[in-house]
Formats: sequence, C-alpha cells, structure tokens
Amino acid sequence: MTIPQIKCNRVVVVQILYIQENAMAKKSKRTIVGSPLTPTLLEELDALSNYPPSSEDFKPDGNWVNTYRIWTCHGYRESGNDNVGFLRIKRLINPQSSLTLKVHQEVLQTDALVNIVDATIECRNNQLASPIQWKISSRFRGSDGKYISELNSNDNGAAAEGLDRSTGDWCLFEAVQRLKTGKETVLAFDMLEGLSLLKKGQHLSYRGLYPTKIGGENILLHCFVQLGSGILPCEYWLDDYHRLLVVASMNKAYILDEQAEKITHRIAENEQKSYEKRRSSQRKQKR
Amino acid sequence: MNKNTTTEQSSCLVNRRDFIKLSGSAVALLANGTLTSDVFAARQSRRPKPKNILLIFTDQQHIDTIAAGGCRHLQTPALDRLKNNGVSFTQSYSANPVCSPARSCVFTGRTSSETAVYVNGRPIRSDIPNLGQWFSQQTNYETFYAGKWHLPRTYTSDIPGFKVINTGIGGFGYLCDTAMSRACEGFLRNRSKSKPFLLVASFMQPHDICEWLRLNMENPQEIRYPQLAGKFPELPDNFVFDENEPGAIRKRRLGNEPFKGKWNKEQWRYYRWSYYRNIEHLDAEIGRILQALEDGRYAKDTLIVLTSDHGEGLAHHQMVRKNTLYDEAAKVPLLFSWPGHILENRTDTTHLASGLDIMPTLCDFASIKSPKNTRGRSLRSILEGTSVSINNFIVTEVSSNTGRMLRTPSFKYITYKDDSVEQLFDMRTDPGETKNLAASSRYALVLSEHRKMLRDWESRLDVPPNVPNADVWRQKT
Repeated sequence: MTIPQIKCNRVVVVQILYIQENAMAKKSKRTIVGSPLTPTLLEELDALSNYPPSSEDFKPDGNWVNTYRIWTCHGYRESGNDNVGFLRIKRLINPQSSLTLKVHQEVLQTDALVNIVDATIECRNNQLASPIQWKISSRFRGSDGKYISELNSNDNGAAAEGLDRSTGDWCLFEAVQRLKTGKETVLAFDMLEGLSLLKKGQHLSYRGLYPTKIGGENILLHCFVQLGSGILPCEYWLDDYHRLLVVASMNKAYILDEQAEKITHRIAENEQKSYEKRRSSQRKQKR
Repeated sequence: MNKNTTTEQSSCLVNRRDFIKLSGSAVALLANGTLTSDVFAARQSRRPKPKNILLIFTDQQHIDTIAAGGCRHLQTPALDRLKNNGVSFTQSYSANPVCSPARSCVFTGRTSSETAVYVNGRPIRSDIPNLGQWFSQQTNYETFYAGKWHLPRTYTSDIPGFKVINTGIGGFGYLCDTAMSRACEGFLRNRSKSKPFLLVASFMQPHDICEWLRLNMENPQEIRYPQLAGKFPELPDNFVFDENEPGAIRKRRLGNEPFKGKWNKEQWRYYRWSYYRNIEHLDAEIGRILQALEDGRYAKDTLIVLTSDHGEGLAHHQMVRKNTLYDEAAKVPLLFSWPGHILENRTDTTHLASGLDIMPTLCDFASIKSPKNTRGRSLRSILEGTSVSINNFIVTEVSSNTGRMLRTPSFKYITYKDDSVEQLFDMRTDPGETKNLAASSRYALVLSEHRKMLRDWESRLDVPPNVPNADVWRQKT
C-alpha cells in the first residue's frame, strides 16, 4: 500500500485523511472475541502454539524456574493483542522450613520505557507460600537505555507473627502448583499484590479439568480460579505434572514460555529503534 | 400559561450573570470570566498557595463509585480518604463524555469544539495552551505527567509543557496503572522537597471494562463462577429506557455488546460486579500514590484534585461505556483535598461543576490568571466555603460535535443535530432521567429558555472552522 508523498500542506491533509480512512476500515473489520481468555482461546488468537516440553522431573516443591510471557488482549481477534513483557519466578528450597522466590519482571511501555521489578521473598512452606519477609525494587529504564534513578523505589517488608492466611500474587504462582486438584480445594486469604497493595477477602478454588487443544495435541488441563476484592477473576491452568502453564485474568495472560525473555528484549529493541526514528523525524519536521 | 408553569420557570430560569459573590461583595469580571487585574492581584496576595498540586485523573469512572459516598458494592479506602479530607461534588459533569475531548477540556478550560478535539485521537488546537504549558510559563511549579494522555496519542513521552515521567502500555489499566503508580511513588520518594511541583497521575482504570465487555459479550446462559451467585449488585432503578429517545442514543445502545450478545439480567449484574472490581484496583493504585505523598511529607502542602474524563453506563438506561448525555456517562467524580485550607468532609450537592472548571480552579490556587477565553469558573470560593453560587448552568458536548446537554440546577436539556427528539428532565423529581418532559406543553417555556441559554452560550464560543457542525450549534433552535 503506497501512501501519497508529503510535498505540500494539501497533500499532508490528503495523507492524514487517507490514514484515518484506512484506520477506520481496519476498525470496522475487527471481530469481537466475545468470551473470556482460556488456553484454547489463546491458541486461536495466536498467543501460543505450544508449551515448553513437559518433564516428569518437574517437582512443584523442588527448585525450578518458570518464565512467563505477559500477553494482553484488547478484545478483538485481529488487532491490539501484544506481548508486553515477561515474569520470571525462581523457586529455591531453604535449609529451614521455608522457601525463597526470586522474582524478576519487565514490562514494556510506550516510547521504549521499561519498568523492571525485582523481588526476593522468603515464604512459609505452607499451602499459600505466605510471605515471611521480602525485598522489592522497582526501576525504570528510559528510551536511551539508561536507568532513571529519580523513579526508583525500594522496599523491605516482613509479615506479622502468625500471619499465615495471607499470600502474594507471585507467591500464588508457586503455591497453586502444590495444591490438590479436586473440588475440596478452597482457600481463603488476603493478598499482598506486588508486595505492596493489600487485597482482602480472596478465595482460590478448583474449577475442574478441561480438554484443551494445543499445537494439534489434545491435553487435559486443571483450572483453579481466584476471586476477591480488587481483582477480576484470575484462572490458573496447570498440566498433569502440576506445572502452571497459563494464568489468565480478563485482558491479560501469563503464558509459560522459555523464550519469553528473548521475545521481550527483541520487542524492546525494536521499540527503541522506532522511537528514535520517530524522534528524529519529529526533529526534522520542527526544523 | 398556568400557575404551575410559572412556578417551574421561577425555579429554573436563570441568566448567566456577569457577577459572582466573593466574601459577600460583588466583584466585576472581565468578559472571559476572569477578575480585573487590580482586584485579582489584591485578592491573590491574601490567599494561601499550595506548595504542590497533584491532579489524579481516572478514566471512565462513574460518579457513584466511592464507598464513603454511599456506594455499597465496593471498598475504596483511598478514595474514601480523599473524600473525607476535602470537598466532593455530586453535580459534577464531564465537558464531553468521551476520552480525548474530555481531556482537552480539563487541560485547557475550553470546550471540545473550541480545542478541535471533538473525537478521540485529535491534538489540541496549537494556539490554546494546556495546563502544563500555562503553569510552566506563569508559575514556578515544575510540571510532570504520568500515564494516559490521549491528545492525540494514548501514551507518549512527548507532552507539551510537561516532563513525562511515565507513559503506559497499550490500553491496559491493570498492567499500566501499576507501573504508572510505581513511577509516581519513586518520583515522590526521590524528589527534593524544596521545588514545588504540579504532577498529573493519569490512570487508565476503570477503562478496562471496555475490554471486559468484548471478552464477555457472548451470554454464557449460566454464570462462569457459580460461587459468585447472589453477590452481584442489583440492577439500577433506571435500567429500563424510553423508546422515544434521540436516534443517536438508540443507535449507540444497539451497537453495544449487551444487545449484540443478548444479555440476560444476570449477565448485566455480572458486568456491574466486574466494573466495581476495576474501581477497587484503581483505588489500590491511588492508595500507593497517596501513601508515597504522606511518606514524603508532602500531604499537608499538596492540593489534590481527582476527576475522571467521563463516567460509565453501568446498566443505567441499559447503556455501557460513555458517549451519551445521561448522568451515568456525563457525570464524573470531582474531589478536592487540601487539609487545613479548604473545607473538609464536605459533600457539595448543590453546585454545578464542569471539567471546564478545573483549569481556572488550579490557576486560582496557583495565584495566576487563567488563559484567555477559559470557559470554566474557579471553584475555589466554593471549596473555601465563601461562595453560594458559581455556575448557573453548564454545557456538555458529545458525539463528534453532534450533541449538546445544558444542565441548570433543576433541569437537564439534551438535543442532537438533525434530530427532532429533544429531551428535558426535571432532575429534582426524576434524577434517573426516565420521564422526558420536552413534549409536554406545561414545560414549553422551560424548554425554550434552555434552548436560548444554549444558543447564547454557543454564540460566545470560538470554534475553528475545521470542526464539523460548528455553524449548526450557532443557528440551532
């Protein structure tokens, strides 16, 4: 598709109208998704083609690293659905009766800005992986690749004694893999989201076993659902090895993907290049 | 004319006066609504000025979404705190209940037809300064922006007049607002306290309800989560709608997901439940910023303003989203907090306020004049408890400059271009806007007076020629 060259003001107007018309035409062709995100739907929407190979060696209560691609959906099948970052959770068994989660999340933003969150959480070895103490830092990397120190924030925290009916959203990524799959599993708790925002009155329960077709293969996936204040329903999808494959909540999904980090960094590089290009063309226009 | 009609007139017919009361004495205004310069200077020198200003801007927030304001369907500790610490308006309207147009009004104090942002995704007319540009020129406040802009780009690191500390992600409130509030938290923690700032924290939530509608359009016939049965909020009293509405409203309703998906009442109630969860998410993120403000010991020195670009249908009149002139879409929360300097724990149920009033109000607090031709009025005297009246009516535009609403203390008048159906509601007896009085001969004079007020208002606007329908509104009625 060729867009008329910019030569004079009149052509600029024609070009803008042309772009607007094309945008309108694209919009009118969009199809509404219509139903909540599930692994089957994610495949239909090209958000995943397969999961990392499953392994019988995977032990939910052992040492492991899971990396999730963060994917968002505007509710249309054809457009507006993007990978926007990744979340890596590393589980380490401690000599004491606790475990440590090391969390690293990068979320891409417009104009090549990146929010990077790192956390180390010492958790109880209970059903909810209740946090005992933690450290968290949030940093921003600018379009020039440098960190913006003025926006840093760091926090340390510790749970009060006996606070074992609470957990964190990242802790649930770990805990849900150790839960029994069956209708009897119903947990009630308060949640510290991002180790900073308290969301009370949460419930996690087993929904059932659902047939799912991924990469031409039929598999059965277990589903838990979390409901509570300050969140939209959040579904956790696990395979038979109790590996957490997908976490889907309304318009976003965390998808287990070994390439998530690479994909995110490639997108970030492209965004940085296109941002620089945009800036340089703006500078030329101003001149 | 019968006696009842006369009564209706006397309670609603008002002329937009060129005087406002200030501390008991009338003070002359210039044609654009600003004070004469000597009076202005004398008055401003006596009034305290907040060291910092924080404008919290939400997206698509229905006015009745604050627990402390009486909403029973959610918990909002942060919004409650803001409300209890200051003044909240219950008669506060968006100047255009669509994202970009509404934002252009808040950030300039000019109508969306004047800014030329009559639809989403247009830039503000270049000869009209925005809040950041005006404050940068006229004050010593450093101006910062975080989050959604949408004039024209939804997110950008390049906003005239502001240093952008954070952009955003696509149109996703849940991810983007968390990063945005973290950036604001870092900013407030690391900043040197000696420099005054104006910070805009512009959230995407609860706009995520738009994605929710598209991801839940199909009616599943049974609830996906049976454990929620019995927990959904009831439907609003004005769930039913008048069949004889202007065509633009009917068309909008039929194009929305609930009608395409043939929703039953349970699905409508599930949608309401989901919207309130988005508000709770927003509240938590606002709480993070308020906490950082307190931790940084800014709280006493900072004037906080919270408003939204527009409301949300929320099943009233069986509408979802925005872009109509019914109260659910047109009204927005408007909260001011500055403990010790303005009234506290005060719900203002009488004064009409508009998104157009925010720019002049902030200018007033910053002891500067508003830009030329600002259409709104400063609400400062109301916030300080020294004024009984500011706006005798407010006007809201909508739908690519094809619709208008004029709201007086008693009535609401709605009209659309090329549509013979007008609407007139008595807001005292029918706040749900269910009985259209426009065709009633008893209200003929009320109707004609409202038409005249609108015509007079339109005649004063400076609408550029490239805005569609500009002439229509000058000539209409």
